[in-house]
Amino acid sequence: MTVLEVRNLQKSFGSIKAVQDISFSVHAGEVFTIIGPNGAGKTTTLEMIEGLVSPDNGVIHFGELDWNKHAVSIKKKIGVQPQSSAMFDLLTPEENLNLFASFYDHARPAEEILEIVNLTDHRKNHVKKLSGGQRQRLAIGLALISDPEIIFLDEPTTGLDPQARRNIWDIILHLKELGKTTILTTHYMEEAEKLSDRVCIVDQGNIITLDTPSALIEKLTNEREIRLSFLDGEKAAEDADGFSKELPSVSKTEREGAALKIWASKPEETLLDLFKFTKEKSYGVEQVSIREMSLEDVFIAFTGKEWRD
Amino acid sequence: MCLLHLPGRNGGINIKFNQFKMMFLAQLKLTLREKQAWFWGIFFPVILMVIFMVIFSGNSDEEFKTEVAVVDPSPNPASEMMLSQISELPVFEVKSGKPVTRDKAEEWVKNQKVDAAIILPESAEASSVILVVNKENEQGAAAQAVSGILNKFVQQANLLAAGAAPKYNLQYESITSGTNELDYTDFLLTGMIALSIAQGGMFGMVDMVEMRRKGLIKRLRMTPANMGIFGLSDMVMRLLFSIVQIILLSLIGVLVFGANLYINPLTLIIVFLIGALSFNSLGYFFSSFSKTTEAYMGVANICSFLMMFLSGVFFPIETMPEWIQPISAVLPLTYFADGLRESMVYETGLATASLWAGIAVMVIWGAVTFLLGSVLYKRKAIAADR
Repeated sequence: MTVLEVRNLQKSFGSIKAVQDISFSVHAGEVFTIIGPNGAGKTTTLEMIEGLVSPDNGVIHFGELDWNKHAVSIKKKIGVQPQSSAMFDLLTPEENLNLFASFYDHARPAEEILEIVNLTDHRKNHVKKLSGGQRQRLAIGLALISDPEIIFLDEPTTGLDPQARRNIWDIILHLKELGKTTILTTHYMEEAEKLSDRVCIVDQGNIITLDTPSALIEKLTNEREIRLSFLDGEKAAEDADGFSKELPSVSKTEREGAALKIWASKPEETLLDLFKFTKEKSYGVEQVSIREMSLEDVFIAFTGKEWRD
Repeated sequence: MCLLHLPGRNGGINIKFNQFKMMFLAQLKLTLREKQAWFWGIFFPVILMVIFMVIFSGNSDEEFKTEVAVVDPSPNPASEMMLSQISELPVFEVKSGKPVTRDKAEEWVKNQKVDAAIILPESAEASSVILVVNKENEQGAAAQAVSGILNKFVQQANLLAAGAAPKYNLQYESITSGTNELDYTDFLLTGMIALSIAQGGMFGMVDMVEMRRKGLIKRLRMTPANMGIFGLSDMVMRLLFSIVQIILLSLIGVLVFGANLYINPLTLIIVFLIGALSFNSLGYFFSSFSKTTEAYMGVANICSFLMMFLSGVFFPIETMPEWIQPISAVLPLTYFADGLRESMVYETGLATASLWAGIAVMVIWGAVTFLLGSVLYKRKAIAADR
């Protein structure tokens, strides 16, 4: 069942086209991740869906509901954790939750939320005394207070240490167990791979590709990068380069001194052929490796850009 | 709560009431926990008032007095008569209580033990009275005063000697427009109350800048929270804080400095509400164009400083140079301070034209700044979306 449908979203700020053309739909109960570098248009896309920014063009549907006619109903259905974890610093987590609870006709008890985001021990401390991870967990808690069907988490783990990040992953996985739909943005590949049912890669305001993490990696598995370096120096590498170029599954090679990189769609077969060749020529091979593919490679493959955290 | 829980339409009212209650409680806690609010709202006005009251009303009871030496070289009826009259003058204190020799008197003048020496005539015929003052103090207030008083005294003696009675004399009286007299303590107390409420409004809206900068306003807009109720709860909180200021400053003024208040409650409530709301609008306007709290505080400080000295808070406007007075005449604090004086000291009723003129000026300030602020907020909402 589709809970959110977005079609042909566009948004410009002055001469900057933040979002050029974005369309996707989100199914009930899934973790849908939008991933991309800074400035890719993730937050703008999210803010349009959350009703904070009106799109220049495009359609946003929450089932039957849209922002023009059903703003209040949508606000009751969604829970948002914005990138700037905005809350009342001089109130305690409990007081913040109770205040936000008063905005809704039906809200979950603050104790329950504190339990979910693991802040029960800190419920009486002022928010300004909380650590970055605790603040971020409270921000997620505030998004959960109305027991929403759809939860938006905008870079919930940015700037957190690994332990704090893991805590937030646990919360997201717990929400999935509860049957909630989560729309997540991140620029950590590892996170998207670990948490998401589907990943949408965004760059320069466009969707580059959209699929499950494994399918995205799968798309690239018929081509892997093999690295070899030769004990006998440049001559051997040059020979091997010439040989592998003739192989049917090899699409591209790159040589630098005695080191050789080969992109092959059937890497095992290619390696076997290569070893036969080096044995024949009695070239010594120093190092062999096949690089495992990750979302990072998917990103690089689709955008042609180096990935930076 | 149970009584309010009615089905249907009233359910919405119940939620709104609960929202107001929760927002008000949050505002209350935020104010109580904010040290800045305590300092600028309570501590600062109290200290400022105490300092001004101690400096300016402390010596108002003290009268001018000066110590003189009297020399009577050869006592005669004329000199004796003058001596007894001089001793009776309250402004002169005759050192050692009786005439001394001329040498002694001149020594005292040189050492500045006395402000002046008066040498009485040697006989009824020698009609000159000599006044000896120290050259260093010749232009000083005391020497001038002694010479002035003595001059008048000699003139009267001349008239008496000529057998004429003085025809004119000067009587000094002070009047005020109100039914009750205003002394400086009352003046300063009401001025300080006006100033602290005005500052509460002008500085208090810094929260708006901070909330916007942190994205809290945006965050609230993502919920079904009613922003009107949020604004209302904020306003009620500020008014309550101002009431605390009025009561606290009044108590200190009355109990410690003996101020006299004659309050007309209805006038006070109207002046207070209009004044407090219009200064809050002013703060709201500042917040609409300030990107950072520093920028906001800069603007608020300049305005508050200008008004503090130009609006007759510490000193009556009439004592200021004439070219400044037209500026005072357009500032809202002038009318707020005046209105509070009318309602807290003069017990003025509502049927007073000048009171309503002042209220009108405050309403204009409040309305114009509120509208300008709203326009700027709306215009920026589009740009701030990013």
